[in-house]
Amino acid sequence: MTELTEPPEVRAGLSTRAAGVVFLVPGLAWLAIFFVLPLGIILLVSLGHKDAFGGVLLDRLNLDNFSRALQPEFLPAFVNSLRYALLTTILALLLGYPVAYWISRYGGRRKTLLLILVMLPFWTSYLIRTYAWMIILRDNGVVNSILAAFGLTNQPIILLNTDFSVILGMTYGFMPFAILPLFVSIDRLDPNLVHASRDLYASGRAAFLHVTLPLTMPGITAAALLTFIPAIGDFVTPDLLGGAQTTTIAKIVQNLFLSSRDWPLGSALGFILMVVTVSLTLLALRTLRREVIG
Amino acid sequence: MTRERNRLLGLYSLAVYVFLFSPIAILILFSFNASKRNFAWQGFTLDWYPRLLADRAVLDAIGVTVQVAVVAVIASTVLGSLLGLGLARIRFRGSGAAETLLLLPMVTPEIVMGISLLLFFSQLFGSHGSIIQISIAHITFCVSYVAVVVRGRAAGMDPGLEEAARDLGASAVGAFWHVTLPLIAPAVAAGAMIAFALSFDDLVVTTFNAGVGSSTLPIFIYSRIRFGVTPEINAISAIIILVTSLAVGAAWRFGAFRGDIRTVAEE
Amino acid sequence: MNLARDEASVDLERTLVEYLADRRMTRRALLSRIAAAGATVALAPILAACAAATPSGSPIRSATAAASAADGSPSMAASASPTPASSPEGELFIYNWADYLGDDVIPSFEKRYKVKVTQDFFDNYDTMRAKIGQNGGGYDIIFPSSVDVPAFVKRGLLQPLDQVLIPNKTNLGTEWQSPGYDTGNVYSMPYMWWTTGVAYDSAKVAEPLDSWDALWMDKYKGHIVVLDDVREAFAAALFRLGKSVNTTVDGDLDAAYRLLAQQKPLVRTYTTDDIGALSSGDAWICHAWGSDVHQVTDRPTVKFFIPREGGVRGSDTTTILASAAHPIAANLFINHLLDARVSAANTNKIGYMGPNAAAIPFIDPAILADPSVNPKRAVIDSLQELLDLGPDLDKYTTRWNRLRAGG
Repeated sequence: MTELTEPPEVRAGLSTRAAGVVFLVPGLAWLAIFFVLPLGIILLVSLGHKDAFGGVLLDRLNLDNFSRALQPEFLPAFVNSLRYALLTTILALLLGYPVAYWISRYGGRRKTLLLILVMLPFWTSYLIRTYAWMIILRDNGVVNSILAAFGLTNQPIILLNTDFSVILGMTYGFMPFAILPLFVSIDRLDPNLVHASRDLYASGRAAFLHVTLPLTMPGITAAALLTFIPAIGDFVTPDLLGGAQTTTIAKIVQNLFLSSRDWPLGSALGFILMVVTVSLTLLALRTLRREVIG
Repeated sequence: MTRERNRLLGLYSLAVYVFLFSPIAILILFSFNASKRNFAWQGFTLDWYPRLLADRAVLDAIGVTVQVAVVAVIASTVLGSLLGLGLARIRFRGSGAAETLLLLPMVTPEIVMGISLLLFFSQLFGSHGSIIQISIAHITFCVSYVAVVVRGRAAGMDPGLEEAARDLGASAVGAFWHVTLPLIAPAVAAGAMIAFALSFDDLVVTTFNAGVGSSTLPIFIYSRIRFGVTPEINAISAIIILVTSLAVGAAWRFGAFRGDIRTVAEE
Repeated sequence: MNLARDEASVDLERTLVEYLADRRMTRRALLSRIAAAGATVALAPILAACAAATPSGSPIRSATAAASAADGSPSMAASASPTPASSPEGELFIYNWADYLGDDVIPSFEKRYKVKVTQDFFDNYDTMRAKIGQNGGGYDIIFPSSVDVPAFVKRGLLQPLDQVLIPNKTNLGTEWQSPGYDTGNVYSMPYMWWTTGVAYDSAKVAEPLDSWDALWMDKYKGHIVVLDDVREAFAAALFRLGKSVNTTVDGDLDAAYRLLAQQKPLVRTYTTDDIGALSSGDAWICHAWGSDVHQVTDRPTVKFFIPREGGVRGSDTTTILASAAHPIAANLFINHLLDARVSAANTNKIGYMGPNAAAIPFIDPAILADPSVNPKRAVIDSLQELLDLGPDLDKYTTRWNRLRAGG
């Protein structure tokens, strides 16, 4: 009985703070132990230098590896990574938003089923899916065979091992990572808000731009994060579907650790990649939110 | 929305589904390919399926993969959902840093994460790799994804709803269980599905944390690149799709997934 | 199996223990040194008796093995399977390429020695090397390339083989008995060898090719595939320049880099999947490993040649990790692989030639007749081996990363 006499703000405040601890501590603690600590070891490695046989020496700690990693010769690879990740994110969002919208508005009782259907192709081996794309895009593959059969070409078009195949493969791979968060946000949008704006004589387009889009911004943000950030670090898709000109910075980091056996330099470059990506992302999000929501 | 637009949208979505499933169709087709390679169609055969079922190594790998995926999905969904919810609703002094920390596992190159965990476990615990180590690694990279998705849903969610429930006499846990949780349930489910896909298919981080006899399916599959990925691998994927589809279909038939995802509270 | 010890041998034992401790050697290492140095056969049984506490072979057997090794007649030891003093441990852990052993190799070993073998596969050699370097996995046997053996030894990752348990080593062809990368086969036994050259689709390439220049032909731009391997790619360029593939001269490497930079716009992709590139038809001219070309059965018009400037010969080895928990079983397994019939079975399955002279009668004649797998003696002699460059590998890898990252 005494509870009800306390002012509601205080009660909410207590539960909020206590809830905060319960909610945040387990996840943050896990990340602190199993992510931050190991990363700390890598930071230490990045300050060392490699020995003659591919091991790491930690005797003279310095920042040499960071200045080596910032050399201009790695820049084209970094630009490639940025290019691919940006295009992939934009495409996945553009292509995925209508699908998420349709599932939410017209899926009815089948909504979850439709979502699972989006995810289903990705519960198979990535390698086999990529091989399937190679079969589709190769010089003697499905697309070229069809084009030749209809007499549209007399020579195969080179589709594989190009920018096109990389972006296609990456967009394909990240579609569910875009569609699912978009759906989750669109689905909680009250359709009455849109109806109300139409009632007030807004055009369909205006209703979308000024009501739907801003209100689904959290979902768009989540989808953008889930696509752009992993895409920067994706080296397998550009490696398998790409060619000699599509080398990404993630592949260079991989090379440094593996064939160059230079863990310190690889670690330094990895860190720079992480810092640049997260900064760019946070900056972009802040700008985007301001533009759309106002 | 006009009926034409509705139909157009539906057709478009169908096209996207076709896009999503076209490699799968090729994949399944080539599981019947009478060739040792995955390149040219050489004729029809059913042989790869019995070979798959007799292949001990594959079955073991599938077993390990499922074990790890189940543990990783459950743990990361719980940790990540709580994290996402907390970050969406509570502002505290370190929340900017916490948000950045959330994004870092997603941006860390796989090789950096794999090697960092290898060093961590071998230097501090003398461990040489094991299923537990793999599971821990998977949970670590899945948590962020779940948290971001849940936060997307929880952001802008009216905290007044939970307050209202408290006003009406619910306990803190009760308000959470009956009001908040159903509201974020779709995000939790979406996060779980994403986590499963990530765990099921991970290669690099897993390789560095696997020990003797703890090879997962991706490790097994990728190891075959060197001398040829036989259609047996396609058969594995085809069977996985079949089993998953049957499971989902059966679940749906028995009433799961039906009904609107929205809760009464929102209507 | 306990051997009775009398007073004299206990004293000898104590002296031996101190001797070994002073030199930080294991008994096994001492025995192998003596065997390698060809010490008197009489000494071996005595020391073997002293070393009875460590499992290294019963005195009588080891004398026989040493004797037959001394007279060098391969036929006697063609199929020797020693019975060690202590039984092999019940398990064995192997880390290997997938599909790299004959089908019956492990089952026959398991049956003979009552050992349960667990074999894990890796997808990428460099990943395996990185992981093993940190003691990841806990394996007993790994298959490093010969070029990496010296570095592994220097890092203390390998333990010396127990030569007494590997009498089949006399089956090795003479040039493999003490290869440059591991004199005396102390730490490794050769497993398979191969050549690197150029493959091409004769249906697409009309002119006869015989030089590394083939990988630089403008008219096949977009249909040339190069191996994604820093040493191999540089070797191709260095051959064109007439330099050694193991050069560390900056001038040579800069010239090679310029050639590779010229080549890059013509290259469809850098990959280690030469089999795939050739089978799919996307590669008309492909930098390739000879034995891989043998496996391109989907496209019979593919041909392979070793360019006139020379080619690369590579090999890999079987070794035992220093941290191995099952050294006896490991040594016995390595011996098993050197058995003539087992070695032939491996070759027949994977299409690579082994170093095993005694295995030749049992190898599939089609493989023996295929010059991409088994080139003529004269060709083999003209090949260069890639050697361990130590810290100078840096000169190659920095240029390679610059090449790959560049626009």
